[in-house]
Parts: sequence; structure tokens; C-alpha cells
Amino acid sequence: MAGSGQAPLRDDPNVLLSIADLEIEFPVGKGEVVHAVSGISFDVAEGETLGIVGESGCGKSTVARSIIRLNSIKSGSVDYQGHNLASLEGEPLRKIRPDLQMIFQDPISSLNPRRKIRDVISEGLAVWGDEHGAWSQDRIEELMVAVGIDPKFGARRPHQFSGGQCQRIGIARALALDPKVLICDEPVSALDVSVQAQILNLLQDMKERYGLTVLFISHDLSVVKNVSDRIIVMYLGKACEIGSAEELYARPRHPYTRALLASIPEPAPTVDVSEGDIAGELPSPINPPTGCRFNTRCGHTTDICFTDEPMMQRVGDADHYLACHHPVEIAVSV
Amino acid sequence: MAEVQLSVRDLTVRFPTERGVVEAVNGVTFDLEKGQTLGIVGESGSGKSVTAKTLMNLLPRTAEIDGEVTFEGEDVRKIAAEGRQHFWGVKMTMVFQDPMTSLNPVKKCGEQIAETLRYHMGRDKKTALAEAVDLLGQVGIPEPAKRVDQYPHELSGGLRQRVVIAMALACEPSLLIADEPTTAVDVTVQKHLLDLLDRLRRERHMSMILITHDLGVARGRCDDVAVMYAGRIVERAQTETLFSDSRHPYADALLRSIPRIDQPSHTRLEPIPGRPPELINSPVQCAYAPRCRYAQPDCLDSIPAVQGVMGTHEFACHHPANTDRGREALAANVAAGRNAAGLEVIGYAGGN
Repeated sequence: MAGSGQAPLRDDPNVLLSIADLEIEFPVGKGEVVHAVSGISFDVAEGETLGIVGESGCGKSTVARSIIRLNSIKSGSVDYQGHNLASLEGEPLRKIRPDLQMIFQDPISSLNPRRKIRDVISEGLAVWGDEHGAWSQDRIEELMVAVGIDPKFGARRPHQFSGGQCQRIGIARALALDPKVLICDEPVSALDVSVQAQILNLLQDMKERYGLTVLFISHDLSVVKNVSDRIIVMYLGKACEIGSAEELYARPRHPYTRALLASIPEPAPTVDVSEGDIAGELPSPINPPTGCRFNTRCGHTTDICFTDEPMMQRVGDADHYLACHHPVEIAVSV
Repeated sequence: MAEVQLSVRDLTVRFPTERGVVEAVNGVTFDLEKGQTLGIVGESGSGKSVTAKTLMNLLPRTAEIDGEVTFEGEDVRKIAAEGRQHFWGVKMTMVFQDPMTSLNPVKKCGEQIAETLRYHMGRDKKTALAEAVDLLGQVGIPEPAKRVDQYPHELSGGLRQRVVIAMALACEPSLLIADEPTTAVDVTVQKHLLDLLDRLRRERHMSMILITHDLGVARGRCDDVAVMYAGRIVERAQTETLFSDSRHPYADALLRSIPRIDQPSHTRLEPIPGRPPELINSPVQCAYAPRCRYAQPDCLDSIPAVQGVMGTHEFACHHPANTDRGREALAANVAAGRNAAGLEVIGYAGGN
């Protein structure tokens, strides 16, 4: 897998966020670096939900965090409405950040335990409100009602709420500045199943109500399928397959995508998961395998997989891109 | 009918706290047959882990325990009271959720397994270490001879959990309790670990209790499944029965609330409104009634008794789903727009 190349970038005027050849490295001492993200390209159209899936350590969170510059970027570009977020610094970067907001995995630790939730939600407005630092109390109430928290609890602190309610508060905080893009990093992984559905429905409602574009990161393939229009499958810092949610789950071509789908405890009968078992575990991102990064676990390897990195290529006419020397053939009759 | 290995009757566990008595487990009753796998599913706080810890005698002294637990003809609570050694960790063992915290970080993996064998089975140091290598091989760890000399931090999460499983199997238990054994690992690793547990269980004729919040895992790996809510088993049935013909509205709602991979994208989910109740000073009513689409006035008057066929399909509900009585209750609530507890009820898009 290994999938460099800009093939998946669409020539579409509605593209809001376009990431090209993004590379991110972290030094780990002794002159070694973790190659967290190694040349990934994708774009997100306005109003679209892009799901990012992969095992832990594949770089999915790193990609998302780098878009709002929570990590430094080694090379590549992040184009947002004509600005390259990868090279912005100082005031221009600060000015653009309200457009891109994030919600996190652990809803409780992402809220300051010592502050009232009304203040947590309004902090962005306090920074970005008019020059007098004023903002309307109505706006806070509107947000709290929108996410399903009774405004009369505004003076309570995070520990007085359950995990699901804290995630609602986190969503209200992210929406306070009227963002264009909402980045959700495993927003329901820490929640119980009955609450998970509430939050997923809420995110969908908020997306429609506020016209959001969403990046949704999760390791849960069923959740990602439910929320996404398009999905990118990542492995060890590379993209292996990108496509529309329906296409990718109905006709997965990359051996890794198939392995992921085959690992779901209760595979659905409509998903073809034959030839989908993989052995072993994720190699170290400090010394990733040469050639295709998936070659240590793949059942389809030949010599070329160990020498040449497969590039992203379009598959057929569908919205479907793949980086593999030996994609799994799919019977045409569907 | 196969031999009953573990029998739990009316198990109740209470924790006195400053705010009142928490009734963590309330009247749990079930049998486990030899060689079977029982899945216990439920949300956090439903009492599934406390049930497991009670069986393993791992609760703090402050816990007040009532009820009977019989394992292979012996009274387990009597064994606990006598402080008998070589029972837990030998006949009945447990695998925990987080392998990093259940292994000792400053001891080599091999030593930790050997320690179990030396303490319980009286092996000498050399034999115990040799057996540890053998066990690591059995749980599918590559190069076991090398791994025995490694520390837990040198292994990946999946391998660490395999070490924990090896340790749990060292004394050839007849019952293995696995409490969320794969929650901390990726799906690909989860599949391998569950395959491993399945294989070992078959080879060794072990019984297993698999505690999980993941309904897919329960469906794929268990013979019977018990659903817990607010400290009680609200429904218990053979796995296929539970997933295709559930009776308790909570079990039914849980199945509807999870996103399914065979549904198209953006399928509207049907969440369960509200959240689980606190287990302090619970009113005498069905604990699920405030969130239940089927709830009628009688649900608020009494705690529903367990009904159905004992050992086959049991459930505790006055107005069970997928029955005429339940359908009537639901239709009445949909017509009234709310249930007996005042919860708003609208019809599902898909009917019923």
C-alpha cells in the first residue's frame, strides 16, 4: 500500500479542503524519526463527510490534527479556500482557525474540569467576539439547545455530566464559532452503544443545520460507513484505498481493506470478505517496509511489492482509487 | 442436557458509599453448562464486570454479597470464606481488558507465567520456565523462546494479551472468564484473539464467560447471551434466538441502535433516549421503564419477574417486544405520543 500520488484529487469547484503529498515525521531521539504520514493526498468537497479508517498507529489522527496545525508538517500542502494551511504562520493562521474546529475522543478530559460549561462553550466567542469581547447569551443558549443540553445547567461543571453529555458540550463548543469544517477524532469510541447512536444522529443533524463539512476518524468500520459519503483507508502513514462509502464497502479491491472488513466480528452477508485474512501486526513506523508498506502482512505479494511503491490509481469509472500492484479482482456481476 | 458447571442463584452485590448503597448486581441467576460459552453484554455500569469479579472473589471487602454460587458441586462463597488457595487461578481464571495493567511491568513475561505454575502447581523453576515457553507457543506467539525473556513493554498490545491468556491457561482451568478481552486492541487483532480463545476452549474443553459491550462479538462467539441492564439480567437466550427474536425492549432497542455495515450510508440510527439509571435508592419499578417505548403503568408499579422457559429463553418484562402484548403496549404508546413514564414515543420508520 503505500499509496502516494495525487490521483485521488478531484477537479471539482466544490472542493473545500485539498491535501497534497502530506508528510509528517516525529523525531524519537538517536536521530530516528517516526514516519507518521508519508505522502498522502485527498480532498473533501463542501458539505461532504470524509471518513478515515485504519488501525491504531496508521496516522489517521495525525493527518487530522495537522490540518489545524496541532502537529507540525514536514512537507506537502493543505489548501483551504486559497490558503495553504501548511505554511501559514502567526496572525493569518490564527484568523483562519475558527473555520476549522475539532471534537475529540475522550469527552471528559477534553473539557476543563474547573470551568462552568457555559464558559467552556463561550470561550471561542470571548476570543473572537466583537472588539468589546461581547457576545450574545442567546447564542450560547441556542447552541446548548441545539446539542440537547438544557441551558439551565450552564453553571454546572463537566464532572456533573455523563460522557455522552460531555460530548454534546464538546460539540457545542466546536460549533460556537460557526466553523466550515468539523474534524471528529473518534468522537464515539469512548461512549456506550446506546449513547453512541444519539451522538451520531446529533452530528448528522448539526451537519445539516450548520452546513458543515466533516472529517470523521474512527477505527469502527460500521460507524464510518454510517456517517461517511467518502472513505479513505489508511495503513502505516499511507492511503491504500479511497472511494465513495457504497463503492468501497461493496467492492473493496485492496487486500488490506478486505482484511479490515473481514475482521468485523459479525460480517454482513452483503460484504464479500473472501481472501481477507492477514497475519501479524503493524510494522514499526520508524523503519517502514520498502516497496508497498503492506507487504509484510499481505497474502498477494510478488517481487515488485518489495521494490516498487504502488501509486494511487483510479479504478474504472467509479469514485474509487487504489494503491496496489495486485488488486483483488471483483466479479463484475453485482 | 449437559452437565451444569457453574450455577449462580440470586446473586446480589451492594457497595455502601457516602451517597447511599449502590446495588451493582441485583438477583442475577444463570447456569453455565460444561464446554459452553456464555456472553454477558451490557453498557458500562450494568453490573457485568462486578458479576465476573464476584465469581473470581476479587471484590473489595466492603462489598456485601448475597446469593449462591456453585462451581462443579462446590460452594464458591464457602471456598472464599475459608481462604482456600489453588482454586482461583487454577480451576477458574480470568483475562482482563487491559493487558498492560494486568502484567507486571518489571518482570519478564516468562517469569510471570512460571510464577503461576510454581505457586499453584509446585513446579521447580526450570520446569516452570520450559512450560511457559510451551504455553507461549500454544497461544500463537512467534519465537516463544525469545519472548519469555522480554518485558511486557517490548510486546505489542495483541502479543501482551496473548501472554495474559497463556498465564490464565497455565494451570488448565475448566472455566475462563474473559472481561472485555479485546476492547483495547484493533479489529484485526481482535479477530485473531477471539479465534485463539475459541480454539483453546475447544481443545481444552473449557467453559467460558465472555463479557463484552460489543454485540457483534457476542453474536459471533457465544452459545448463549445474557443482556444486563442496571444490575439485572433482563434477557437470556441462545445467541440466535436473542438476535432474531428478542423479547426485552432494551435488548431489542440495543440491536436497533448500532450502525450496521449492511445498511446504506446515512441510515438514521434509532438511539435509546436518556441514559442508564443510577443504582442508588432505585425505585421499585422496571429500571428500563423511563427509557422504554413499551412502558405501561404496571411497569412503574413493580419489578417484572423473570418469565419464559428457564434455561432456554428467559426475560424480565411485562410487555415483551415481538409479542402481541408488547405490540399492543407499543401501539397504545405511539397513539398517546408517550409512554407511562412520560417519555415521548413515535413510531419507528420501519414499523413495530
